[in-house]
Amino acid sequence: MSTPSTNPLTAGTSRLIPLNHALPWIIAAVALVLLPVIFDSRSALTIMNQMAITIVFALAYNMLLGQGGMLSFGHAVYMGLGGFFSMHVMNWMSVDPWLPLPVLPIFGGLFGLLFAFLIGWFSTRRAGTTFAMISLGVGQLVASLSIIIVIFFGGEEGISGNRTEMLPFFGLDFGQQIEVYYLTAVWLLIAALGMFLYSRTPMGRLANAVRDNEERAEFLGYSQRNVRWISFCASGFFAGIAGALFAINFEILTEENLNLATSGTILLVTFLGGVGFFIGPIIGAIVFTLLQTVLSLHTDIWALYVGILFVATVMFFPFGLTGLLALHVLPWKLGKIGYLAKPYAKMIVPALALVLSAAAVLEILFHVRHAGRGENEMTIYWTTFDSHSPLPLILGIVVAVVSAYALAKLAPGLKAAWDEATTMREAGQ
Amino acid sequence: MTASAIELRNLNKSFGLAKIIQDVNLEIKRGERHAIIGPNGAGKSTLFNLITGKYTPTTGQVFLHGQDVSGKKPFEINRMGLSRSFQITNIFHKMTVFENVRCGLLWSMGYKYSFWTMVNKQRELTRRTDEILEQINLANRRNMLAGALAYAEQRALEIGITIAGGADIIMLDEPCAGMSRSETELIVDLIRKVTEDKTLVVVEHDMGVIFDLADRISVLVYGQIIETDTPERVRASRAVQEAYLGTTLEEEAS
Repeated sequence: MSTPSTNPLTAGTSRLIPLNHALPWIIAAVALVLLPVIFDSRSALTIMNQMAITIVFALAYNMLLGQGGMLSFGHAVYMGLGGFFSMHVMNWMSVDPWLPLPVLPIFGGLFGLLFAFLIGWFSTRRAGTTFAMISLGVGQLVASLSIIIVIFFGGEEGISGNRTEMLPFFGLDFGQQIEVYYLTAVWLLIAALGMFLYSRTPMGRLANAVRDNEERAEFLGYSQRNVRWISFCASGFFAGIAGALFAINFEILTEENLNLATSGTILLVTFLGGVGFFIGPIIGAIVFTLLQTVLSLHTDIWALYVGILFVATVMFFPFGLTGLLALHVLPWKLGKIGYLAKPYAKMIVPALALVLSAAAVLEILFHVRHAGRGENEMTIYWTTFDSHSPLPLILGIVVAVVSAYALAKLAPGLKAAWDEATTMREAGQ
Repeated sequence: MTASAIELRNLNKSFGLAKIIQDVNLEIKRGERHAIIGPNGAGKSTLFNLITGKYTPTTGQVFLHGQDVSGKKPFEINRMGLSRSFQITNIFHKMTVFENVRCGLLWSMGYKYSFWTMVNKQRELTRRTDEILEQINLANRRNMLAGALAYAEQRALEIGITIAGGADIIMLDEPCAGMSRSETELIVDLIRKVTEDKTLVVVEHDMGVIFDLADRISVLVYGQIIETDTPERVRASRAVQEAYLGTTLEEEAS
């Protein structure tokens, strides 16, 4: 069962694709092998596993949003269902183990595919708002069902299992977290490569065509509905794999895994990274998971910061963080990236000051509102002070305003440098 | 007896109370270059959309090669060998010129909904795409985004996508709309070149454009075909002259 899954890997690196195409994948594979050597703590492994799962889910989601132009508000359903089913398979296997843990994601994927097939049958008939509304409705429906159909979803406490009770895989029982890490990493590579190759098949190109102009595609012999349906099924399959990886890692699934909040989060993650690029969701998932896990250790209002980042991204960089990076490709190719160094260097101090002081103001306000009576002392940036005294708040506001003003003053300089760095005319001279 | 490429029988289309197409009967033979002209609002585009499957007839039938296609979906009609272009440029803006044309080839080359073949590895597909790019003179724009092309080039690409699949009935909706005189000449030459041995149906507002191109012309006024004949006879027809905008076709054509 596990042999076909390694095929795309070897095929991708040796024969199918020339070396320069394979290079990013080789680097990714090496990085995945080395990462746990560098970050070897338990919490680091947990974060990296969570990152890998989010990457697979976000890439699957982007098959719809970025590749197919379908905005789904309920894609957690397919990840969740894949996860729940994997959990059941895991539990059946603990009674009579005849399959090893590494094949579990195939079951998650197939279950996600099955439901994407059934629900896609009616939800993909129309694109745009209709599709979005149906996805929202189905998301709500399945989340509600999860509390009603207790035998499958386990009610409010969800269902849990034990991954170590499946058939040992070459002597491994996956009790160690590092073993789970490598299992997740291998599946991350398989899934990512699978989705990448998919985007280069006729179906992958047609998903783009229907996204850009569904009417035209229809007059070229393609049913727009079938193209959307197949994309939806493929996306459901990979989302199901992400669900199985979640089941393997956390050994519990609850309603939270398929509700609308989770669906919203993956939209946010994908958009943050950039829907127009294959690598976008990967960057989005990495940044988001870091914010979610690292930032939440330091502040209770981390979600607010993520929200602000999201709104700022949508407003100023509609192509996401990857789009922001991609903007620099042209100056780089023109050999003029150096033009930008100086204005960036000038802006980095006020930008940092703005972010830190604005965060300080928010933290002080939050502390004043939420700390217990008498707990007036708070510590941020290694400084302890009385949150109720006006001085720190005023200081924070002043720094924020001054640095915002400085940024506004520096902006024209950046724009001028930018114009210079992106014009081809001078490069030729 | 071979059936006509396109046959319309008592075709009617109403939107609410408005009768846009009324009792249209028309036969277009294989290999014929047929033009449909008429003043604005005559129902040319509606007729076009009825034939290509975008609209379903209210009553009456459309036959392609003798087969009733009334009510069939656009993609089904396309698979039967009819391909169309659009009046308003209708290309895949965010894809390259090359990919645009390639999309037009995929179905006819049997790729269907394949998700197991690498599209860049298909030599024959790439070769034929490049061949069409040569034909429509866009080979030097191959890797540009289609949305970044100049208007006249987008119109040429539109025709390239339309003919790519090798359909034997080509329908062009105002292929020269919004073009200058010299650009129009280039496009008409291109149309003549790429539709050789094919059935061609062109909808045009401006008769001058298709006068040399068409074997026969149908004149559509208020949803009815008032005349179908050779360009010379249509131009001379009194009924046509009276109905067609009150201006004489001589002026239109000049």
